[in-house]
Amino acid sequence: MTRGWCKEYTAASYTVVMSIVRNIAGITKGMSITFREMLQPTEVENYPDGPGPTRGAVLQERFRGAHELQRDENGLEKCVACFLCAAACPSNCIYIEAAENTAEQRISSAERYAKVYNIDYNRCIFCGYCVEACPTDAITHGHGFELASLNATNLVMRKEDMLVANVGMPGQLAAHSDSLK
Amino acid sequence: MPRLVSHPDEVKIISRRFGQGAAEIDRYIELDGYKAAQAAIEKGPEWIIAEMKASGLRGRGGAGFPTGMKWSFVPKQSEKPKYVLVNGDESEPGTCKDHLIFLHDPHAVIEGTLIAGLAIGAKMGFIYLRGEYRYLLKIMEKAVADAYAKGFLGKNIFGSGIDFEVVTQTGAGAYEVGEESALMESLEGKRGVPRIKPPFPAVVGLYGGPTVINNAETIATAPHILLMGGEAYAKVGTERNGGTRLFGISGHVERPGVYELPMGFNLKRAIYEVAGGIPGGKKLKAVVPGGSSTPVLLPEEIDVGLDFDQMAKAGTMLGSGGVVVIDESVCMVEFALRTIKFYQHESCGWCIPCREGTDWLKKSITRLHAGGAVDKDIDNIRYLAENMMGRTFCPLGDAAAMPTIGFVKKFRHEFEEHLNGKGCPYEHQREAVLV
Amino acid sequence: MADVTFTVDGKKLTAPAGTLLIDACRKAGIEIPAFCYYPGLSLQAACRMCVVRLEKVPKLQTACTTPVAEGMVVTTESDEIKQSRKAILELLLGNHPLDCPVCDAGGECELQDMTFKYGAAESKYVEIKQHREEQQWSPVVFFDRPRCILCYRCVRVCGEGMDVWALGVQNRGVSSVISPNGEDHLDCEECGMCIDICPVGALTSGTYRYKTRPWEMNHVATVCTHCGDGCKTTLGVRSVDDGSEIIRGDNRDKSGMNGDFLCIKGRYAFDFTTREDRITKPLVRQPNGQLAEVSWEQALEHAGMKLREIRDTRGGSAIGVIGSTRTTNEEAYLLQKFARTVLNTNNIDHHRTADYASFAAALQGKAGRTASLRDFLTAPAILLLGNDATEQHPALAWNIRSNVRQNRARLYVANHADIKLHRQAKSFLQIPQDGYAALVQYLAGNEAGFDGTEISAAFREALRKEESLVIAFGSEFRGRDIQSLVDFGLGLPNVKFAALGDYANSRGAADMGLMPDLLPGYVPLAAAKHFGEEYPSLPSAPGLDMLQMFDAAEAGNLGALYVVGSNPVERYGIDPTALKNTFLIVQDMFMTETAAVADVIFPAANLYEKSGTVTNTYGDLQLAKKAADKAGVRTDFELIVRLADKMGADPKKLVPFGRGVRADMGQTRGAQSGEADRHAVWLAANNLEPKLSPFDPFAVFDEIQRLVPSYNVSRFELLGGQDKQTRSDLVQIELDPARRDLVLPANDTLFTSGTLGRYSRMLHSVMESRTTKPAETAAD
Repeated sequence: MTRGWCKEYTAASYTVVMSIVRNIAGITKGMSITFREMLQPTEVENYPDGPGPTRGAVLQERFRGAHELQRDENGLEKCVACFLCAAACPSNCIYIEAAENTAEQRISSAERYAKVYNIDYNRCIFCGYCVEACPTDAITHGHGFELASLNATNLVMRKEDMLVANVGMPGQLAAHSDSLK
Repeated sequence: MPRLVSHPDEVKIISRRFGQGAAEIDRYIELDGYKAAQAAIEKGPEWIIAEMKASGLRGRGGAGFPTGMKWSFVPKQSEKPKYVLVNGDESEPGTCKDHLIFLHDPHAVIEGTLIAGLAIGAKMGFIYLRGEYRYLLKIMEKAVADAYAKGFLGKNIFGSGIDFEVVTQTGAGAYEVGEESALMESLEGKRGVPRIKPPFPAVVGLYGGPTVINNAETIATAPHILLMGGEAYAKVGTERNGGTRLFGISGHVERPGVYELPMGFNLKRAIYEVAGGIPGGKKLKAVVPGGSSTPVLLPEEIDVGLDFDQMAKAGTMLGSGGVVVIDESVCMVEFALRTIKFYQHESCGWCIPCREGTDWLKKSITRLHAGGAVDKDIDNIRYLAENMMGRTFCPLGDAAAMPTIGFVKKFRHEFEEHLNGKGCPYEHQREAVLV
Repeated sequence: MADVTFTVDGKKLTAPAGTLLIDACRKAGIEIPAFCYYPGLSLQAACRMCVVRLEKVPKLQTACTTPVAEGMVVTTESDEIKQSRKAILELLLGNHPLDCPVCDAGGECELQDMTFKYGAAESKYVEIKQHREEQQWSPVVFFDRPRCILCYRCVRVCGEGMDVWALGVQNRGVSSVISPNGEDHLDCEECGMCIDICPVGALTSGTYRYKTRPWEMNHVATVCTHCGDGCKTTLGVRSVDDGSEIIRGDNRDKSGMNGDFLCIKGRYAFDFTTREDRITKPLVRQPNGQLAEVSWEQALEHAGMKLREIRDTRGGSAIGVIGSTRTTNEEAYLLQKFARTVLNTNNIDHHRTADYASFAAALQGKAGRTASLRDFLTAPAILLLGNDATEQHPALAWNIRSNVRQNRARLYVANHADIKLHRQAKSFLQIPQDGYAALVQYLAGNEAGFDGTEISAAFREALRKEESLVIAFGSEFRGRDIQSLVDFGLGLPNVKFAALGDYANSRGAADMGLMPDLLPGYVPLAAAKHFGEEYPSLPSAPGLDMLQMFDAAEAGNLGALYVVGSNPVERYGIDPTALKNTFLIVQDMFMTETAAVADVIFPAANLYEKSGTVTNTYGDLQLAKKAADKAGVRTDFELIVRLADKMGADPKKLVPFGRGVRADMGQTRGAQSGEADRHAVWLAANNLEPKLSPFDPFAVFDEIQRLVPSYNVSRFELLGGQDKQTRSDLVQIELDPARRDLVLPANDTLFTSGTLGRYSRMLHSVMESRTTKPAETAAD
């Protein structure tokens, strides 16, 4: 009888003890993550109150933001108005008008340049197909992301809005010194 | 006048009158001249063609098509006039046999033209010399004029009632015009580019008329065959390769020159015995057996008979009989480059594989020879050449591709020695390469 | 020839013996690639792309030079063939610049397509590419040498197709280069066929280059607005600020009677549509004598009021109407209906360039006697009397040349000048300028009045032996001369005729009754019975013709003149002061000499900016579709209807719109699938579509088909873009032999096109660049 009780008691106490141990182990495991993470540097970004031009936002290199139109090493526009980005665009948001470069006015390095290059950010889905399609690496995704506007018409970006700055380009300097002469 | 060479192993049939003043018509007649033509007039076209077929004579231009058969293909009845056209546009590097015929025995060409004309029923023959043989044209023109004066050409030749005219013409110096249809274009005053075949010249040729077009040596052989009989001529050579042929042995040999050897003559004997072997005790490196378009042979491969079939078995061609002997001092890459330069320069530009391929090969091999290539460039050279083979409009593409494949295949180690900036190892001991 | 049966890729095919393998395969839907092969041109066999494997033949063979033979077994796709084609592409791409993003051909380049198909994407070529600067050969032809793959298509189309031989090959081997006849420039007909036929972007067009990309354009198949040949053209348009602009014209799909041919005018001379001095606002002459821009409403109100006043006070006979040779049939018809039913006058005429009325009368309704432009491609024999077709009817000349070259057709030419088609002619007869009537008499066997020679006798003999003949005659033939020519022709077996007139719809203008004495379909006014219902108050007296109208104006008897798309002041040399007492309304694109003295000017659309039908000089009816658009202009159709409305007429009587049945427009059939479009075509073709708009030309076309039986052709094919020959057998007319004949040929050359040509900068720049100048620029 005693043995029986004892046996029962032992079995019961074993169950209780084991559940306590398991709980402690669980809490320890959980807390260990908590404590370990407590010692890690913070992952929360202090946007929009952080420092720098991105105001604290940290972006991956591959992040696809607002487009940029690039220039080549001579400061000429890389875009040759081949329309492949417009053809690749699934939301049909790129509008281009092409024109021919002349000897007097050279905009791009090939025969043709984009007289008009508009991207309608109302429709752009940032899929990156235009960047994939571009044969001259003229269009790239920049990291611009603060695109929201209260007026939809503001969301049509023109070439001038997207073109990277021309200052500091060697070609620009050369052209400048030529004009000085 | 170039020095004539001679060797006891020669069998002189075509070269029988060389060096004997046979360019003069009286001397030519003394040396059995125009006897064959008279026999041909008497015995008629069937006899001529039968004799030609029996002789086993195969075209001496390089392709080796049986001449008798070619003549028999010309239709008997034709609305348009028939023509005989003698291809003296001898431009294959390493070949200079027709040159000697025009120089020493011009009347043999005229007589042969006449015989071919009689065989097919033509009333007119053209003798076309390459642009660079302009000085030989004078000899030919004089010979033709003499033949007219004797009544051997013109109206009522030999009093037989048959008319036959012969006109000489020269080109502007294009290798491509050696191709028969391009030759006809050139003769008609057009750009020297080949024509689409079929129709073949035997059906629609010069000015739209049926035309027999033969190499000058083939034509010059015809009178000799009629004189000695087709059977007798055939016996001189090997089976299916009747008679003799002029072999121009050049390059690194003691006695370079044009030798008349029976078909099937051993190439090794031709080099070492007839032409006297390699000078200066140097070792033999390679032999180009039949003009620059034939694949190269290695020293161990030259124990072979010089006829169309044995050469084909050896993986090369008899070609135009221009044997180029190369000793160990020669860089094979440079040799390959010199060969492809020639074809690049001579490509007519008509079809894509030849026009673009020869130029690409030239550029690649130039770069390779200068040391600016890597391993895969050798594969690319071979790839290009293999993809030109059999794809071009006329045989010029093959002529450029075949030797290139041969060089890469047999001398790949020499190509490899040039790679990765090393450049040509023969540069310091350079010698002018013939061809 | 007998048919032979052969096997291609395991499929049994049958074709006539002698057919080229490449043609037979393409016909059976087996595509064999080729650069140099071009149907209709001589064989080249230079590109080696069309290689196929023939059983028992050691080497690969070119399909473009192999005729099919009985029992032939062909393989067109295998690893070996693929490799061969790939290698060709690799060789071509060696020196080919990879500037596809800027190349005009990018997107429609045959080399690009082949490279995609055979996967020669990896470039093995590491040598230095040959670069050469682009050359400009003429105002419209540019040549980019490195892009050239030397397929010689341009050389052949220029020589064989155009008989110009302005292109050739220089140098040999890899230095081979296509070069123009004038060393650094082209001296040619500037047809642009070389550009059109170029499989890559080596030859580019001055009007199109670097402007856009092929897939960015809309392509509209319509009819050329220039000469009377009515070539079908596909216009490439792109949108611009004020509408849509035409930037290219071609007929690559070869869907029309002209095959892939277009002349300089059809290919480039559409730039008049975008001239900045085009009138885009209605102008009304103010009391101070100046023209001022006003609103459409004001201008229409003013014009309508004035016309109504003059009609009501001085009668319809005091109003004249001059129609156009370049408006659609519907507009021409509507204009004469407007004149006859609203203005109540028969004073209506147009600039006639051929005597179509006499031609119709001479044929007396015989069936199958009029030749389509297509007939000149297949006829075994052609007789060309008068007219320099190379200059005035380039498509006719092209078809004749093609026919002579491909089918060995026999061409007989009689002309007072040594025209270029002489070169294709089997027999050429030069006659005095006034000798055409006598020539016809001579041909008919009446020798009086013609100095017969051996040549002319042989010419006549050969003609009489022809078993089937097409006769084209120029505007040298008028009135009775046409009658005697037709009488002569009908004496020969199997003869068809074509009258050659000049402008895009000269024939339509005549057919549609823009004449003072004839109603649509050449129905005389006196026999107008079946016009009764649509023309309630038809004046019965014949009206004034063009010259009489100006005489009346000078005499002060013409109160108003309504000129639609015409410039009679310049064309007929009329003193503008004659019109000082006439209220002049002009509808035109430009400030022409006539418009300059107008009281009201309406800016009008041209043929490229409207829909409707046009009839070429051979009587082939075709559909013109709206391609371009220009803000501010209206079609002549709309203007006539609105003017009628302002005059108080019932537009519904003028344009029978709203008569169709209500029909399912296809929504239930899945509008996304294109079914709706097809359904709309079906409805339109069966006359069922509801014409709900008073500006719907097809409402008028319904009426034309009702009243002019010769125009009652299959609508289904017409709307499908095919040309339909109008039926001469349904024209039953009796002409008053005393009627005046006012034919004034346009005398246009290849580089002039009346008013349109004057306002085309491109045509001017081409003319200026030419060393040999055409004599005189004509204008209408």
